[in-house]
Amino acid sequence: MLKPPALGFGLGLRVDHYEAILADRPPIDWFEVLTENYLVPGGKPLHYLMRIRERYPLAMHGVSMSIGSTAPLDREYLRQVKALAQRVEPAWISDHLCWTGVAGRNTHDLLPLPYTEEALAHVVERVRAVQELLGRRILLENVSSYVAFRDSRLTEWEFLREVAARADCLILLDVNNIYVSAVNHEFDALEYLHAIPAERVQQIHLAGHENHGDYLVDTHDHPVPDPVWELYAAAVKRFGAVSTMIERDDHIPPLAELCAELAQARALCARTLAAGDGAQRPRRAAAAGS
Amino acid sequence: MSGLAHVQGDFQDYLLRASEAVGAHVLGTARVPVATRLGIYAGAYRSRLAEALQSNFPALAKLLGERDFHTLAAEYVRRHDSPYFSIRYYGDALPQFLCAHEDYVAAPVLAELARWEWTMTGVFDAADAAPLTHEALARVAPQQWAQLRFAWHPSVRRLALSWNVPQIWQALTEDSERPQASLDAAPVQWLLWRHELTSYFRSLTHTEAAVLDAAHKGWPFGELCELLCDELGEAQAPAHAAALLRDWVGSGLISSAG
Repeated sequence: MLKPPALGFGLGLRVDHYEAILADRPPIDWFEVLTENYLVPGGKPLHYLMRIRERYPLAMHGVSMSIGSTAPLDREYLRQVKALAQRVEPAWISDHLCWTGVAGRNTHDLLPLPYTEEALAHVVERVRAVQELLGRRILLENVSSYVAFRDSRLTEWEFLREVAARADCLILLDVNNIYVSAVNHEFDALEYLHAIPAERVQQIHLAGHENHGDYLVDTHDHPVPDPVWELYAAAVKRFGAVSTMIERDDHIPPLAELCAELAQARALCARTLAAGDGAQRPRRAAAAGS
Repeated sequence: MSGLAHVQGDFQDYLLRASEAVGAHVLGTARVPVATRLGIYAGAYRSRLAEALQSNFPALAKLLGERDFHTLAAEYVRRHDSPYFSIRYYGDALPQFLCAHEDYVAAPVLAELARWEWTMTGVFDAADAAPLTHEALARVAPQQWAQLRFAWHPSVRRLALSWNVPQIWQALTEDSERPQASLDAAPVQWLLWRHELTSYFRSLTHTEAAVLDAAHKGWPFGELCELLCDELGEAQAPAHAAALLRDWVGSGLISSAG
């Protein structure tokens, strides 16, 4: 199965920027939209979404699939996601490699999984079920985490790689989340990057975090910091020109400021590709695992 | 129960009820102990839901001020989990919570303001529907009028409020001078709806409220006219019925007639 083509450099679509996007048509290649914000019957959210869709490619990014939960899949949620996708025709649909709740509750947080064979088999079965229901491959994103589980027998990158291989799904690699988790769990972020199969990586997230001294918290309310830029350069070197976007969920600056940050990502990617050896080789947009 | 289900059940019980069983499943380091690590999740859970309340009830938050709204939100979050896949729907029980909670029962205007804001949000993202036009209505054959029923725009909502909540809400929203909370002698009937992308509201007279609610229930136009005759007398009813219908159509309240 072919991967969708790369979209270039995008931003998360935020309400504060709707008017500026429509009025100024900024040079942004694509937008990532938060799926749940548009799972509403009608009105302004869907109106603006469709107007922006007329001008830009979109990808749908959800937070409530709860792919790792032991609660049954929420089929009504998935039906609504599918209906929205039919309307929006996104380049792809992504969510997180996590769980968000059990027993009919949603914590609205991206909670980590124990990296066990049991969890792996469980997630793989559910990803397959979701992909069949949506009629397309999905992307799963690595989350930042603050706890490790006593039961874990695999590293996070082994778990992510295995889920993607066994369920035949794609990966949304959040470079900031790798960095945050690497600091919090004292692992080598580059070892993580190098364990991820390039043919599975469809998208990269960039974001900022909050430094608490002994640990980092993934807050999405700061500009991308230097260590994340460095890790991004390493990711570009390994994965090539993957669709990249900047996430900002709080303290949202004017669009021009985010466009400048995105230009920084674009330039860093171009510099890395020009300087690098491996990444200069054209990559097949090819069947994963083939 | 599987190992995974056990871990998830204990983790969630920690977030929702501060249960300590999760401690057996997680690991810390010398640098960052387990309690600190778990505390990040507990704090994020509470603040995320409190922020959702603030975003779903911005005028109430402004009226109460940061400290008092924080107290309210913390108490609501402690007692109400979210069953929703979208955080947009968290806070649906806040009006009832305010009505019943001993700390707020003495200020019933707060519960009404919460009801108002929640209703306005429902208007804001209700389903779209093309409104019925005057031209389409003019094409209805005279013999069909008595049996004509109306379908309402999906955003149409009705509220009966005892306090001057819409005026307070408007002042809070526009940052203008806020009127004192005042109790009306009898509940005022309010109509809320969206026309294209703009939300509207206005108060209703007793007569219009009665006719509009009957029409909303599906009464045909002939019966609405009879209701108006009972309210206003036969002399005034026909002109009043025509005026009401003209206004409803002009405001985009009706999506079809048939």
